[in-house]
Amino acid sequence: MSSGDRIRGAFVGLAIGDAAGWPAARHRSTLLAPWSRRLERELDAFAEEHRVTTLPVPFSLNQPVEPLAIGPSDDAEWLAWTALTIHEDRAEAFGRLAERSDLRVRISVRSALDNLAAGKRPPASGHDNPHFFDDAAAIRAVAFGAAGADPRADASVTNAGDGVHAAAAMAAAIAELVAGGPMPSAVEAALAELPEDTAIGHMTRTALAVAREAGDPFAAVPALDAALLDHVYSYGVAAAQTVAAALALAEVSAGALSAAVPAAACLPSLADSAPALAGALTGAHTGYQALPEGWCAAARTLVGCGIPDLAGTDLIDIAGGLA
Amino acid sequence: MLTRARGCLLGLAAGDALGRPAENLAPEEIARRWGRLTEIEPGKGGTDDTEYTLFAASLLCRYGAAMTPADVAREYREQIIPGIDGPMRGAGFSELGAIQALRRGLAPPLSGLWHPHGWSDGLAMRAAPYGIFAAGRPAEAARLVAVDGVVSNSGEGVYGGQAVAAAVAVAMTGAAPGEVVRAGIAAVPEDSWTSRNLRAAVEAVATGSVERLYAAVVVRHYPWTDLAPEAVALAFAGYLMGAGEVEESVVSAANLGRDADTTAAIAGALAGAGRGEAAVPERWAAEIGPATGRCLPVVAGRHVLDAATDLVAASGKAA
Repeated sequence: MSSGDRIRGAFVGLAIGDAAGWPAARHRSTLLAPWSRRLERELDAFAEEHRVTTLPVPFSLNQPVEPLAIGPSDDAEWLAWTALTIHEDRAEAFGRLAERSDLRVRISVRSALDNLAAGKRPPASGHDNPHFFDDAAAIRAVAFGAAGADPRADASVTNAGDGVHAAAAMAAAIAELVAGGPMPSAVEAALAELPEDTAIGHMTRTALAVAREAGDPFAAVPALDAALLDHVYSYGVAAAQTVAAALALAEVSAGALSAAVPAAACLPSLADSAPALAGALTGAHTGYQALPEGWCAAARTLVGCGIPDLAGTDLIDIAGGLA
Repeated sequence: MLTRARGCLLGLAAGDALGRPAENLAPEEIARRWGRLTEIEPGKGGTDDTEYTLFAASLLCRYGAAMTPADVAREYREQIIPGIDGPMRGAGFSELGAIQALRRGLAPPLSGLWHPHGWSDGLAMRAAPYGIFAAGRPAEAARLVAVDGVVSNSGEGVYGGQAVAAAVAVAMTGAAPGEVVRAGIAAVPEDSWTSRNLRAAVEAVATGSVERLYAAVVVRHYPWTDLAPEAVALAFAGYLMGAGEVEESVVSAANLGRDADTTAAIAGALAGAGRGEAAVPERWAAEIGPATGRCLPVVAGRHVLDAATDLVAASGKAA
């Protein structure tokens, strides 16, 4: 297997994981008219008021139905954007985004873009940020790992602390896998970037221990929920949780995407990005050719639900630019 | 010393009570509802800010300057966690996160790091007693508050507490507001969000523009308002806008909205320490009774004025 096939595996594996998590349909539904989503919010309130357990799902009344088919969402788009701009100065690349009003971005990225627009440079743009600890940069770091490049300058634009450690860990693991290393070496490479006295260092080691104890990815789901989540906060994007879960599931699945990604998707709080991260790791491990064909077909084409101009882009072409 | 200490905690409790109904509101919405919010809702009292402040004061009276993070964690385990029966009313993210971390056996500093709310203003809201205990010694106040802070917070959340504690320590000497704010800024690393926001707040207040203040320190695209760098900056801004007078400082902070109970409480602590107990409006003082223990059952029945008196005694013993 070539490193090019492993890079394609990392990209499409991330997109498959992105597509497998429940939030993908919500992100993709932003392509529908706003009133369509307003109706969904009203149906949610209806279920609450009428005490019915039939909950609304993204739906498409008088709207095109294609966006609601299984497919990739924001994470795959940010990976593609990163690969396309990887040779540019990171503050400049993000600075262009700060001028746009058509993007949908994470809170960390939104705050960083506001900081850049106000004249705050990295690393302050990523540090003076309520979600400095999220995994936005860890997702982008898959491109840097595939290219064998350092993700820190990119990560520091939108994140700090655990958010930057997470990017370094993901890039190190992906680089090791793209070079043909086995999954345990990739996990070791990631751990080397995660100091033990940080939340992400502590949680990743805990996640690996409980997943190994459980023995297989699906069996590890309740243990990971108990070990990583306190269910106190309103968002499940902390890299300390998502990267920890992804690394643990990638290892205990022995690098098999079909085992790691569904398990990650079963952690509802983390389902926006842990499946994508697990998919990137396992996809880089097996290479693109080994990934399930139906999933590749569903996940490789972007729809532009976060970055509109990427609609129609084929991730295989993007990955080819780095291979 | 005693009147400043009592003014500090009475100002804090009054700010907490005044700001409570304005929490999470924008200044425009506050103006629409009240014109200018100047009166405490009768009979409602304060919130978690006052009750956690009473808890911090009790820790200082028990352990003094020798207090360690392990002491604080033990007090959480013995005094707070067993009293939680169902919902934890009024507790912020950092306190809930820390309690979940302590429940699973983690120790400080991991208990303050393990959850993602290290930046919460939960330490800043209870930092005033450290400034009273270490009156005139801002560095000691900042050191001590961090001993408590690392149990529940990390990074900017600890800095926010240090800025408040150091500023209160200097306000306790009767220093002018500008000097008080400079002491708060000096207590935190220059390369921190807290320092950048505090300096930006000072500049914005000098222009007299609330819009500029908001643009400089408020995170627009974030739904929660308990970020310490933001809340402490708004609190200090209110204190400067009120020129250190208790009523004007507290009202200015409360009417800026966001985490209004906490920001008004901090502004009240700074101004009350500077001006003393008698400077707290009587109509506000009349609304401040013993804590109900609604948020923290362990402090039920404690009055901020008694806590202030005890703190001064404990501080005297230590010195």
